[in-house]
Amino acid sequence: MIGIVVVSHSPALARSAVDLALEMVGESPPPIAIAAGAGDGIIGTDATRVADAIDEVASAEGVLVFMDLGSAVLSATMALEFMATTEEVRLSDAPFVEGIVAAVVLAAAGASLDEVDGESRAAMDAKRGQLDRQPAAVHVKPVEAVIENSGIDVTLVNPDGLHSRPAAAIVKAMAAFEATLTIANATTGKGPVAANSLIGILSLGANTGDVIRISGTGPQAAEAVEALGAMAVDGFGELPDTRIGA
Amino acid sequence: MTTGAVSLDQLVGWLSRFRDLVTEQQGYLTDLDSAIGDADHGSNMSRGMNAVMEKIGALQAEGAPATSIDGLFKSVGMTLVTSVGGASGPLYGTFFLRMGVTAGPVTSLDGAALSAALRAGLGGVLARGKAEAGDKTMVDAMAPALDALDASLDAGADCAAAASAAFDAATAGRDATEPLVARKGRASYLGERSAGHLDPGATSTALLFEALADTLGR
Repeated sequence: MIGIVVVSHSPALARSAVDLALEMVGESPPPIAIAAGAGDGIIGTDATRVADAIDEVASAEGVLVFMDLGSAVLSATMALEFMATTEEVRLSDAPFVEGIVAAVVLAAAGASLDEVDGESRAAMDAKRGQLDRQPAAVHVKPVEAVIENSGIDVTLVNPDGLHSRPAAAIVKAMAAFEATLTIANATTGKGPVAANSLIGILSLGANTGDVIRISGTGPQAAEAVEALGAMAVDGFGELPDTRIGA
Repeated sequence: MTTGAVSLDQLVGWLSRFRDLVTEQQGYLTDLDSAIGDADHGSNMSRGMNAVMEKIGALQAEGAPATSIDGLFKSVGMTLVTSVGGASGPLYGTFFLRMGVTAGPVTSLDGAALSAALRAGLGGVLARGKAEAGDKTMVDAMAPALDALDASLDAGADCAAAASAAFDAATAGRDATEPLVARKGRASYLGERSAGHLDPGATSTALLFEALADTLGR
């Protein structure tokens, strides 16, 4: 898994953002290190702490760094000069909270640095989609519609539709299959989007009662479509009578 | 006061005087920053420079003071990076780190070497902050100061007179930030409303050159 570094002026903000992201993944989160605050309890950032955090989570798979604002960005760029690792380290321009959540989920599913970076940068689009505002510079990558007859339609039965937790569960589950799946909201016409994209799934704005269309290609497409369909029918474990744990 | 070269002790004196000035004017710097920023520039700079002087004092007390200019400025830069917290940490930190690398393992700087070190520091600030002249930042005081320093040295002045010319130019550069609209840093969030205020970073940079001029015997 790639490593993730979270740089913030505020240790409390960084911890909370990471905790929110960890809600979405199970027992095997990616390596995450926080560099927040400066000096003795000062709200601010310290480039040497950022460098230490990068070194703590660095591996051959690379490191993606998220920053809140202002000096966090300056300290992160300076940390690239202080760090010991020679592995690839990339500074993300993704929105802080959305980017961290998207990255942790996709990284936990074993995605590459390129995939996690791209997904995080598109993280504003889910919010824009929910507010019916046009995407600005970065778009959720549109996906070619795939073979019709391999798809199934499922009505969402869980109380909150495809919100972040079921979306994260889908991303994680789909990582196990050698297949490329897409999900569309057949009720509203949104999508299709890649089923390994947390942000893409959220951008469908799929609510309870909406029909989602699951399609796939690849050697294990049929199994993957069936598995995802079963998760949806099961309400992603969120139906009162089927709920297992949290 | 000074001869041709600036000694290690004089550079420590410069840092000490800069600490005194930013501490004396802490409230003023913070007032400037409260108008267009997040009201912490005075306290950040004072805390940072006090940490720098404490570090220098501690090394002296241990019997292990910096014995070369690169060592001194590396220690200064790293102390600012770890103790300031705000954007002035990486910016002033980069300034001193680059100065040290360019100065090298020497114990004094002649005019040309002083200019080269300061130029390297400015280059570091420009690279780190991605600011240009006229963006209403510390660059607007530092760049004209270094131009004046070079012009003065080229005209045959000694380091003290050149530092005095640099201070005058930094002050003029600082004053020229008042009508500017900020394009970098926290003040840029205010857009047009940032005009009509002196830039806090340019103001502390003018103090940096005031301290240099004072120390070299203006």
